[in-house]
Amino acid sequence: MEAKRVETARLFHRFGFGPKPGEYAAALKAGIPATRKKVLTLSQTPNSSVVSDPQISDLGKRPAANSPQIIDFAVARRRQIQDMQLWWLDLMVLSPNSLVEKMSWFWHGHWATSIEKVEYALPMYLQNKTLREYCLTDFTKLAKAMINDGALQVWLDGQDSTVKAPNENLARELMELFTLGVNRYTEQDVKEMARVLTGYQVERTTGQVKINPSRQDKNPVTIFGSTMTLSSESLTELLVKRKDCQQFIPERIWYRFISSSEKMPANFAAIKAFSSRDISQAVSATVNSPVMANPKYEMVKSPVEWFVAACRALEVVPSQLQTSDKLINHLDKLGQVPFSPPNVGGWPAGEGWLSSASALYRVAFANWLVPQSQLSVIRETSISDRTRKSADWLGVPEWSARTKAVLDENSADPEQFTLMALCSPDYIVSR
Amino acid sequence: MLIVTRRKFLKLTTGSLATGLATQLISFEDIANAAISRPLAANTPILVVVTLYGGNDGLNTVIPFTDSTYFSARPGMTYPISQMLPIDAELALNPAMSGMKTLWDQNKVAIVRGVGYPNPDRSHFSSMAKWQTGSPNNNLSTGWIGRWIDTQKEDPMLAISLGSVLPPLFAGAKRSGSALPIGGLVIPKGVTGAQLQKISTPSAKDSKLMAASATSMRNLFSVSTDVQPVLKAPAPLAPDLPTINGGNAGGDNNLAQQLDVVAKLIAADSPTKVWSVSLGGFDTHANEANAQAALLGVVSSSIYRFMSQLKSTTRSNDVTVLIYSEFGRRVAANGSDGTDHGTSGPMFVIGNSVKGGFYGDQPSLKSLINGDLAVTTDFRDVYASLLEGVLKSPVEPSLGNWSGRVNFLKTA
Repeated sequence: MEAKRVETARLFHRFGFGPKPGEYAAALKAGIPATRKKVLTLSQTPNSSVVSDPQISDLGKRPAANSPQIIDFAVARRRQIQDMQLWWLDLMVLSPNSLVEKMSWFWHGHWATSIEKVEYALPMYLQNKTLREYCLTDFTKLAKAMINDGALQVWLDGQDSTVKAPNENLARELMELFTLGVNRYTEQDVKEMARVLTGYQVERTTGQVKINPSRQDKNPVTIFGSTMTLSSESLTELLVKRKDCQQFIPERIWYRFISSSEKMPANFAAIKAFSSRDISQAVSATVNSPVMANPKYEMVKSPVEWFVAACRALEVVPSQLQTSDKLINHLDKLGQVPFSPPNVGGWPAGEGWLSSASALYRVAFANWLVPQSQLSVIRETSISDRTRKSADWLGVPEWSARTKAVLDENSADPEQFTLMALCSPDYIVSR
Repeated sequence: MLIVTRRKFLKLTTGSLATGLATQLISFEDIANAAISRPLAANTPILVVVTLYGGNDGLNTVIPFTDSTYFSARPGMTYPISQMLPIDAELALNPAMSGMKTLWDQNKVAIVRGVGYPNPDRSHFSSMAKWQTGSPNNNLSTGWIGRWIDTQKEDPMLAISLGSVLPPLFAGAKRSGSALPIGGLVIPKGVTGAQLQKISTPSAKDSKLMAASATSMRNLFSVSTDVQPVLKAPAPLAPDLPTINGGNAGGDNNLAQQLDVVAKLIAADSPTKVWSVSLGGFDTHANEANAQAALLGVVSSSIYRFMSQLKSTTRSNDVTVLIYSEFGRRVAANGSDGTDHGTSGPMFVIGNSVKGGFYGDQPSLKSLINGDLAVTTDFRDVYASLLEGVLKSPVEPSLGNWSGRVNFLKTA
């Protein structure tokens, strides 16, 4: 397998959501350095010029059950959630800034917060804007914005944490899952930190956050052996400054972008690059790292990554598919719906997506999706060229002999051909 | 405390990462082969664990229908008394539970009242972790069945969970139970099916993940011809369940289908001693009455159907079903005719070897603890009884030196 094709495919599938028709072949011509640069260069085109922002408003408190207003409320709530999901999926497909979408997606899985508990779309939408704004900037700023995020506070019961009854939920996850990694702190640190994080109150319907001083514990705490008085923000800063944070965030980048099964090497370039806590430096170091060409580091496309990549190649727009309910249902069957991670640990990776059940649901999903595309790329290619050219179309480094044989057998039938390609191990796995 | 178990729960739900054990996804072919080559010995007891995710409201399941406090606490979310199904002078089953009522009348249902654990935790995740690890206090990373699995001879067929994700209940320290995706019953047919089989044939050149991808697809088609007829009958479609507002704490939505598969595999002599199935959606923070009736109707009719299916096999006396949820709900309704997270609730133990009736005290509505029901029975009493009485195993490896028992099993 040609190393250049592998690395180019990875640049598209891991730091974006796969190539649009023609992009992969053009990138091969342009060469690896140019493709890396292209992946890392942000377009100035505003997102709203390709996908209009969803109308997400404050729905106010849920009306009483059986009241005349409850149906309108429930309909509006569901509509807002779906609009928001489709808005993001559309952006993943259409945005000129794939890296921003991919990094927002990465951080959504990192600070995993679910609409299932938050209930209202507005706080989730505001959280997404925050993730989007800081996704490639200073991690300290991102972490501070997140500790003040209404949806995250609700999700981890921050708003119920008071000086009388500190709740350790947010404190523990802030260290374990968000900044330091597991076992890089003590139980004492968790308890003390919970005291610092008291006093938050959140207006559920809007996600607006305030700190109520009468509910807040302002006494000094002893964290990592030092006694001091901290605010939630100075606490966050203290965590992000720790050496363990410099190790942990590159670990997460490694796990989500390079390999979920192989161990991160001690000299992984992103670690050094993250010394300034600049996320873009860490991402850039990863993109430019030799690990990108190492055949050992394969990944499985998560359901959203697989679906969005298919949409880009098939030139279809998620919100225009028949129907939106069916789309969300397919994603749900596969276990990955935006704004609805299964728990605060985020979605699984790797072989977690390769059960027999997901194989089955993936086929059903592709069966529904493929007929909704004109499949113009395939139809415009002569039958005898279809197998060969489809590798470039989909951004696959090389079809295996087995897949090649099946594609050849189906080359006269564009729909069946595409179905087989999308469900092949060669496409499901990013090699 | 809350967080410690939550963290552990998360570790458990990410399975292989935490325990160093990969979740074994088994195929119908594996079970079929095992059923043929080493069928479960006759008269071997089987435990079927039904997890209701989301926190089932016990008060609207086993209803204190003569207690005026019940009606005044939740005026917008009770049922007409005429529709309830009385099972004694004070308690009635939810109107939707006619199948369960029939089994109760046959003395096959033990209802253990007020079950919970000390210092109840109202978080779905950490409370469910406590129930599944069987450990309210300790920071365990294994399930109570998982620790039992550790004591048994290694066998991927020993404990099977329906669905593609393994519940923490089945995670052991040395080994874990297996997960069986039920979608495997619906196999693509015709030309597409044939082509998909070709595209998933093994290849020596496959990378590790490509091989795993091909295997996952291939397993769909690898149902043994010997047992296929048993499994082939169309599974019932999952009924449309109400969409329930609030935190979804896991679970599947097709209990009838899961139990249908379990019944067929029990009939096929699968060498499996513990099965796990689940139903999600019990997080009824709003408009609870209809939603919960729909869910409990599914539980009741699925279990009734399951017990009926077993009648035509030689195993009907061997199977004991346990039904539980991570917590009950508050006594007073909230502002949305729903209930918030509470404490204790009833457990159901069902089977021909069960002595039907009530066990444990009914928590009083007059003496609440911060608005919540008291815990009158520790869940470990129930687990210990099942370990000894059904699995014929010592309690100690799973629950340590736990002395409580509930005598709901007939003595042989």
